[in-house]
Amino acid sequence: MLGIKHEQMEALRAQIAQIEKRPVLAEGASLVRQEGEPGLLCAPGGLLHEVFTDERRNCGAALGFALAQARGLMSPERPAILFVQLMREAQDMGLPYGVGLKSFGIDPDSVVLTRVENITEFLWAIEEAVGCRAVAAVVADISSTPKALDFTASRRLSLRVQAAGTSVFLTRYGVGREASAARLRWRVSPSLSGAVPFDARAPGGPRWRVELEKGRLSAAQRAGTDFLLDWTENGFVVVDSSTEGTPALAERAPSPRAVPPALGDRLPQAS
Amino acid sequence: MRLVAVDALAARAGLAPDQNLSDARALVPNLEAREIDHAFLEQVFADFADWHSYASPIVSVLADKAPYGDLCLDITGVAHLFGDEEKLLATVTGRLEALGFSVMGAIAPSVGAAWALAHFDQSRVLGGGEVEEALGPLPIGALRLSEAQINGLMQMGLKRVGQLYGRDRKGLQARFGASLIQRLDQALGHIEERLTPRIPVAERFAERRFAEPIGLIDDVLMTAHDLAIQLSLRLEAEGLGAQSFHLFLYRVDHKVMNLSVNAARATRDASHIARLFGNRAERLVAEYDPGFGIDMIRLAATSTSPLESAQIGAFETRDGAADLDQLYDRMTSRLGPLAVVRSKFVNTHIPERAVKLEPVVARTADDPEAAPDPRQPRPLRLLPAPEPISVTAEVPDGPPAGMIWRRVGYRFVKASGPERIGAEWWRPDYDLDIPPPPQIPELPVSNRDEEVAQPSGFSERKPVTSRDYYVAEDDGGRRFWLFREGLYGEGAAPRWFLHGFFS
Repeated sequence: MLGIKHEQMEALRAQIAQIEKRPVLAEGASLVRQEGEPGLLCAPGGLLHEVFTDERRNCGAALGFALAQARGLMSPERPAILFVQLMREAQDMGLPYGVGLKSFGIDPDSVVLTRVENITEFLWAIEEAVGCRAVAAVVADISSTPKALDFTASRRLSLRVQAAGTSVFLTRYGVGREASAARLRWRVSPSLSGAVPFDARAPGGPRWRVELEKGRLSAAQRAGTDFLLDWTENGFVVVDSSTEGTPALAERAPSPRAVPPALGDRLPQAS
Repeated sequence: MRLVAVDALAARAGLAPDQNLSDARALVPNLEAREIDHAFLEQVFADFADWHSYASPIVSVLADKAPYGDLCLDITGVAHLFGDEEKLLATVTGRLEALGFSVMGAIAPSVGAAWALAHFDQSRVLGGGEVEEALGPLPIGALRLSEAQINGLMQMGLKRVGQLYGRDRKGLQARFGASLIQRLDQALGHIEERLTPRIPVAERFAERRFAEPIGLIDDVLMTAHDLAIQLSLRLEAEGLGAQSFHLFLYRVDHKVMNLSVNAARATRDASHIARLFGNRAERLVAEYDPGFGIDMIRLAATSTSPLESAQIGAFETRDGAADLDQLYDRMTSRLGPLAVVRSKFVNTHIPERAVKLEPVVARTADDPEAAPDPRQPRPLRLLPAPEPISVTAEVPDGPPAGMIWRRVGYRFVKASGPERIGAEWWRPDYDLDIPPPPQIPELPVSNRDEEVAQPSGFSERKPVTSRDYYVAEDDGGRRFWLFREGLYGEGAAPRWFLHGFFS
């Protein structure tokens, strides 16, 4: 059933392309992947993604998810990831930290930070980076909703991105959604992390609740599905929320005076 | 108040420099007197000097006797462009005289001799062996000596340079100082005197003069492209590539504008260079002012290094690194030198100093000892300046239970720590000062900035010598990196700060 529809769509597209005398729109074809392929959440390159998160204080989660996807796109021919941010937002949202990138699993040498003055330069920088064949992905962080970032700009960007094969992840903040030409739109919210061995009260690794608001990654994953993802050395791991017990919240026994607090991962002194 | 300079009309009326102003006013009742502005004159003269690089690449202002007024050009190898040395002198002085300046010029094998001839003799060109003879009859002041030395020499009867020739050098040195001997030797050419050029010298350049001055930036960029092609052919002939390119625009009103671009790796690709200049010009479109026009453009290349010819053709391998470097060049030329940066590890534990952001175009070698310790958790995003927060935590070293940050309260359900980072006792100023927030010009100073500003050297606070870092997770799943400055019980209550966000 689905295959027939697919063929019909392809035929229609070819017709339109003939009418318009342009090559067949390759947009729909490659995205729908077969069931059960590994790397279930890493989309192919050459797409414009929007990564939304509700509040600006979730900026760590948004960047983490975008970088995790970007890491999946890195290859020997495309070794670099570019991060673009407005200079005035650096103190609000923080800059990617080299040491943190390393513990996240990305080589800080491959990440280049671009700090621009205004939204025009922001868009210019993204377009320039997309044009280079050695860039795997561009992660662009913008906390406001400037007028210049409208549907036309995103359409232009998505055409460039498709032609070049470099992905762009636009991390944006807020609940409002505008019309945009991005192929995939994600919504990321931070989630309580799993348990860490030997220390019940230490925060665990990165865990996010990710919802695919717009677009399709594979036949089974259409818009509206959401996942609870862990980021580990092996990449994304879907957490099965039924087996994973929710960590005990707010159950804190009054601490007796004589005993030092049970918290405290006694790491060695900085040596 | 004394007169410093008089014009021709005043000179005819009997005024001269060094005359008292009131005497001068008495002589000429309707005298117009203006106060001299030394700084302005020096600046204008310096700009004017830059313009003279049309004649020779090495131009400098000789500030020995006066901060302005003496211009020295090194014309080695340049004279043939103007015909011969006589014609060069005539051209340079002629152009200046056409502008209304009164000029004396001289050409000589040494800087000292040329100065002496220009100040105390007529405009002439001196050949190699004639220096001693020409300098002989000149007064002793022609050697650029100080007042004290000149007075001393005059008292002793040594009024001409020629009288110094055969004298005992040690005696002269003892009596008048070593500088006398040095000046004499410099004038005679026994010691070399180096000029510090105002514009750095480039051996490889291509230039173009215009019959009619041009003004539009597009024309300038088009010319730059043509010059880049010429320059790249020249560099290719020598097997070199360059990393810095300078575009000099010589205006008709004797000023020079200078645009420079840098490339991450040596290149001689004309279209890449032209595109870099195009981007650079976009950045300074507000300051571009051609005045009455530009009549000469020169493109120079510095920082050259050997570059093999690229293999083009069937077996070409795409080198991603070269593409990336060209991308960074283009972005740097448009956005500015500090806009495109990479993280470089520094060998220190203090988190905000452990990573230094350096421009990608000016990469320095990595320090192998600076690799970070993988055992310790570090956030994905770091705030450039830690933000003060109020925290409730158990004393003495309990992890935070809740915090108030940017006027919002958080309750922590998980925390780990403390990780203690101490000040570096091996440094003389060992104190873990909180860095001030980055200065952004258009951002109005908010309350937040005032809270963070630290009065350094404030005697009431003891220097902070340690920070205890905690990783804390709130009930929404957001993970923060906070620290407490100092320890409880040491006087004033220690402050807490938020430093970063985990993913």
